[in-house]
Amino acid sequence: MPVTVTPQTFNYVFYDAELIRSIAAGLLGALGMSDHEVFIDVDETTPLARINCTVDDAIHIHADSGAFEDTRKPRQQSETATATSLGRVLLRARDRLVGGFGEAPADDDLTLAQVAAWETYCIGRLQRFGVPVNQQRWRYNFRNRHGFSDASDAAFEQIWQSEGLTWGELNAISDTSVASSAH
Amino acid sequence: MRKFFPVEELARDERFNKITMRDRMGDPRTALNVSTDASGKRTNNFRLTPGRRDASDGARGLMHGIFVGEIQALEGAGRTCWDFETDTEAPFALKLDMARQCWDEARHVEISVKLSDWMGSEIGQYAENTVLFEAACSTDPVLRLAGVNRALEGLAIDVFTTMKEFGDLAGDPYLEFCEDWMLADEVTHVKMGSDWLRKITENDPDRRKKALEFQSVVDKLFSYGGTRSDSQESPIGLARRFRELAGFTDDEVADIAEVSMQALNERKSAVAKMREAADQFASSAAAE
Repeated sequence: MPVTVTPQTFNYVFYDAELIRSIAAGLLGALGMSDHEVFIDVDETTPLARINCTVDDAIHIHADSGAFEDTRKPRQQSETATATSLGRVLLRARDRLVGGFGEAPADDDLTLAQVAAWETYCIGRLQRFGVPVNQQRWRYNFRNRHGFSDASDAAFEQIWQSEGLTWGELNAISDTSVASSAH
Repeated sequence: MRKFFPVEELARDERFNKITMRDRMGDPRTALNVSTDASGKRTNNFRLTPGRRDASDGARGLMHGIFVGEIQALEGAGRTCWDFETDTEAPFALKLDMARQCWDEARHVEISVKLSDWMGSEIGQYAENTVLFEAACSTDPVLRLAGVNRALEGLAIDVFTTMKEFGDLAGDPYLEFCEDWMLADEVTHVKMGSDWLRKITENDPDRRKKALEFQSVVDKLFSYGGTRSDSQESPIGLARRFRELAGFTDDEVADIAEVSMQALNERKSAVAKMREAADQFASSAAAE
């Protein structure tokens, strides 16, 4: 199924729509999602790095330009950042599609702790797929949302190493970690 | 060893990528609301707090900015020890203060590297804006003190206060503790600049006026197009209490608040113009 990137030509940043498309296509193949149509909409007017997706008949990804940016060279595209950002939302989409995540709130309704837990789960799997990631970056993000404690670190490790979690299991680990850190 | 070292020749290894203020301001993107189009739906609150969805990445980016800022502050203070003849151009005691500042900045660099590691960043992961060192290239030591110790270190007070509060709210004991210690040093550095500025220009009102004008220009530059101001649209706030402790008068803080807001509004206006130009270019390219 096709991947469509909008815009096709960038005016604010020096990005390559074809590179974004090919990275997305490669990830879809690796994740067993090639039968899904994907639309990627890049907002090149903002340097922020937010990225989210909605799933209906197709997967719709909305990314701020910073999500694909080489932070060493502003306005230039980074293949690694593109793969990491697309990979984490595609894995989240796959979780919603394959089952076990039916009761998960929509992306916009997730709490900050839930987002951090789900991202940890996605990035851990992405690393095992061979995408280079800095684990400490995601540990720091998890700690910011679940507390700087041994319990929080243990929860992070458990989620990072996991495969095949359901939303209920993931959310329970996150909730327990938040509660432990609060004491 | 030569004097008055040019910014282009600052020594950095291959991990670093230097950019100038011109590069930074030439970026037509902004998270700010600048028009009534789709971006008009954006939030008007960009203050760096843990409540921001991109808080962790925002804090990592700012921490790297602090790291390179500390390197440049070290280089600037070091140059002031060397660039001016003792007593004829700069008092020995002033140089001694700058030497002490070098010691502090070197320690801050080490702390910043460790904090960056703690937050999951690598050295050189973000572009280095060299505007801080450029403020340290004046040929008059008094202007240099105004630009570096009062404007640059004043910005550092604002940044460290924001990061200390971030660490406190997030419950990050290392970030809060380290920022608090560095903040204490920065207050001292600003105080040194304020004291020397008054002492050296005691009988030279014209020189003092020039120095304060230079500081105002640098303050505006360091407001980074609205990165630091009283507005919630700015990630970094103005740390009024610590500035007071550092020797800024209420009027001086009010002036900095005003130039920071000007910088924010000018940035919005400049981005709106760049966007208009980009849209026109895209329209004409599509027509062809």
